[in-house]
Amino acid sequence: MQVLVVDDSQIMRRIVIGALNKAGISDTLDAPDGREAIKILSEKNTVNLVLMDWNMPNMTGIEAIREIRAKNIKVPIIMVTTEGEKEKVIEAIKSGANDYLVKPFSPKDIQLKLEKFLKSEGQ
Amino acid sequence: MKAENINPFIQSISEVFESMLDSKVAVKDLHLSAADEGHPDIIGLIGLSGTAKGIVALKLPVPTALAIIGKMVGTGFKSVDSSVIDGVGELVNIVAGNAKAKFEGQSISLSLPTVVRGSIYRLQNLGEMVWLSLPFESELGEFSLEVSFKQMSTTKQEVAHASACGR
Repeated sequence: MQVLVVDDSQIMRRIVIGALNKAGISDTLDAPDGREAIKILSEKNTVNLVLMDWNMPNMTGIEAIREIRAKNIKVPIIMVTTEGEKEKVIEAIKSGANDYLVKPFSPKDIQLKLEKFLKSEGQ
Repeated sequence: MKAENINPFIQSISEVFESMLDSKVAVKDLHLSAADEGHPDIIGLIGLSGTAKGIVALKLPVPTALAIIGKMVGTGFKSVDSSVIDGVGELVNIVAGNAKAKFEGQSISLSLPTVVRGSIYRLQNLGEMVWLSLPFESELGEFSLEVSFKQMSTTKQEVAHASACGR
């Protein structure tokens, strides 16, 4: 399973990738903004899941999701963001995000979210 | 600044430390901060706009910054490098984001965070806004959160109405 981690903070990318590694996922890619994420997804069709931050320079996560869906790329996307208000969650889901994880989170929270995702994929 | 406006920031710091750092914090004597109070080594700054405006400043001595960011990543940092600076920016982003979600009925946006390093500077607000200083103790070291916050008279419903009316 290959996971693309998109966050402008290199520390947050390391934290998320570390949690993925602990969950047994070692095949990861990362990008610092939405624009780079779209470039990767346009060039590769091997990505199984995207973990996407919201507030990033160059192109925000929500803008990236809209463009990804407009390109008909169907990869599942989980928003991982500080934007925890209900209205933001609804906006993200309407824009094409499949699920939502609010920062702050523990490594266990990421693992539970992944387990939920893998379970739904297996059905 | 009203107490109900500062409690979300105290709760946010506690939640961030518990979930991401498996650590507890204790707030000491909160007080109005003089513009030139303290000379911490690293400050993470983030702006708030929308139905409330202000600035959140996370002030960290170097040993505290190294301990916090090291624990966040699971790596020991011996000196302040680009990863530590990046981590302080992300930390203030998470603290402010978590706090703003606690203001019900408000629509608050965050700026991208900025990190200032050094000790010869002065944080000073323009206008009538004041800084409230929240000093914290933790097993990872002492630090403080300084908040300059003012709710505007416009609520989210009024913003939505104004938007619907094309204003």
